[in-house]
Amino acid sequence: MSQSLRPYLQAVRSSLTAALCLSNFASQTAERHNVPEVEARTSPEVLLTPLTIARNENERVLIEPSINSIRISIKIKQADEIEHILVHKFTRFLTQRAESFFILRRKPIKVVGYDISFLITNFHTEEMLKHKLVDFIIQFMEEVDKEISEMKLFLNARARFVAESFLTPFD
Amino acid sequence: MLLLDYQNVLIQAVLTERFSGAPPVSIDQTVSDFDGVIFHISTPESKSKIMVSLQIRCYKDLVRYGAEQVLNREYGPYVVAPEIGYDFSVVVDLDNLPAEKEARDELVNKISLLKRNAMAAPFEQAYQEHYRLREEAAKFTSEEAPQGVREGGTVKAIQYREEEAIYVKASHDRVTVIFSTIFREETDRVYGKVFIQEFVDARRRAIQNAPQVLFRNDPPLELQGVPGVNNTGTGEVGYVTFVLFPRHLTPQRMPDVISHIQTFRDYFHYHIKASKAYIHSRMRRRTADFLQVLRRARPDSEEKERKTASGRTFKQGV
Amino acid sequence: MSIIQQHTQATLSDAWRTINIDALQEDSSVNFDTSTLHPALPETSEAEVRQLTNQVRQLLRGGDAEGALRGCLESPVYRGRDEAKEAHLQTVIEVLQSIKASDMTPMLQRIYASPGGTECLDVLMKYLYKGMAVTSGGAGKSNPQTPTRMTPQQTGFSQMSGRPGGSSESTGGAMSVLLSWHEKVVDVAGLGCIGRCMTDWRKV
Repeated sequence: MSQSLRPYLQAVRSSLTAALCLSNFASQTAERHNVPEVEARTSPEVLLTPLTIARNENERVLIEPSINSIRISIKIKQADEIEHILVHKFTRFLTQRAESFFILRRKPIKVVGYDISFLITNFHTEEMLKHKLVDFIIQFMEEVDKEISEMKLFLNARARFVAESFLTPFD
Repeated sequence: MLLLDYQNVLIQAVLTERFSGAPPVSIDQTVSDFDGVIFHISTPESKSKIMVSLQIRCYKDLVRYGAEQVLNREYGPYVVAPEIGYDFSVVVDLDNLPAEKEARDELVNKISLLKRNAMAAPFEQAYQEHYRLREEAAKFTSEEAPQGVREGGTVKAIQYREEEAIYVKASHDRVTVIFSTIFREETDRVYGKVFIQEFVDARRRAIQNAPQVLFRNDPPLELQGVPGVNNTGTGEVGYVTFVLFPRHLTPQRMPDVISHIQTFRDYFHYHIKASKAYIHSRMRRRTADFLQVLRRARPDSEEKERKTASGRTFKQGV
Repeated sequence: MSIIQQHTQATLSDAWRTINIDALQEDSSVNFDTSTLHPALPETSEAEVRQLTNQVRQLLRGGDAEGALRGCLESPVYRGRDEAKEAHLQTVIEVLQSIKASDMTPMLQRIYASPGGTECLDVLMKYLYKGMAVTSGGAGKSNPQTPTRMTPQQTGFSQMSGRPGGSSESTGGAMSVLLSWHEKVVDVAGLGCIGRCMTDWRKV
């Protein structure tokens, strides 16, 4: 793991652990409704200060806590056009399977620059282990970077091989 | 399968089987090939007379560049009037096949290369033009050569797909082949760029004698004033230029070079698709891994199975 | 007839659908007055911030990094114009960057043990998050009129000597200072410190 990645993930881990402190809270605007307050935004007093953890301009995490839900948005590193398209494809692939991911949001939040968002509610923390959820987010962040750069390497290697194979008969 | 075959494998298979001495049967088969080319193998008159017809959308262009001569040269005795709806037909009489096996295989190969041979005409013409220009140019030093010799021949355009074309241009020291190709999606465009970059670099890195490859999104200078070439400016169209040097232009190497360069567009797009497919399967696998990690967050729901004192197991009600 | 016509014309556009009717109701939860959640705070002017910055710099120059840190953490800008807040953030970051990595933990422990120390570290945590939010571009969250580039070179005594190069690299360097402080603060003050950052309505 690179030198600056460890404190970054560590900061995300501690912030998430602190923010994942949720309780059941029924909507104050609609009777018999129970909605994630961070999404509904109908009660300003239950929305907490959002936290940003950044490693550099291209990699950051936004945690928006509220009384019964938190929203985590991740900006994945994209150094060039290829990585950009790979990140786009990958996040799209994941969000289309949001159903089985429980906590994955189908769309990243509207704030520009974030590639993927998670929404964790009190119901999730009630039936899942909180520290394992944190583990998941951290592992996700680690693996996504790795996967993207591996895919990019593969693409370059394949392109090189393909090009050389085509041109060799001319030699 | 890394490189694409030049011949049509299906035609080859059908004919090889027919020529092997099997009892004649009636055939009526339509075979597709790259670039919207359609073949029709049939036995219209009798079971022993097999007709193979070719339909190719740029036949008009090809005829202009001498396709008929090339095809007549290749298929001379077998050529018949084209079947209705097709551009070119040959008929082989099973009762009148060459006696030796080698010659029969040769014939099979030749017929399965129908598309290649039809497409080869403009290239062959460019080769001839190049020889002529080279001879003429040899009489002058480069400064005083007349305009026509320095500039080279006219550009031959082959509109072999709806929106994509091959352009061939001969000069006294080279033959330039330009493929225009469309990238419909952003992803294809980016992947294509990665691949093309490697084609461009390959010459510098590994294969010094390969043709020079150039890529650009706007029409290259050679294509100025050629009808049908317009700069859309959207970056959807890419132009890949191959510059064939004298070492590729010897008469001995001509057939191989022509066959090979024809497959470029399909080869290129085939590998882009293959990479996309691979990356997709990779994402699928990685997603499964992520789900596995997330599943660990659920408290264990096992330990439902218990054993009784007698060793029998039973399921505990939830 | 005319009434009907007027009515249909008014409703032809869809704009009325997006009106948040809850907001129009006075006792709706949307209109909760969050200013009642914290005591009234005095406003800090830019002049005061500047004065404090000078004092802090003097302390730093005198070698009293701990005093400088305490100095700016004890008087956070909770209310004031955005410029004043930004200026104070810059001061805090300047101090943080001038402290050696090996001095961080002992210094934090001393501050934490001293009276009012928890409060100080909470304030520090708030500035750490703010520093990361603002400097990483914020993507339109911070107001764009006040570009806050963290410039390690400017101060002259930053130990993270700003490498001349890509801005992303230099912000990356600045970030890693904030990240390592973050880690140390959590070590000393615990997760509660982050919790208080989120829940405190006195925002820096």
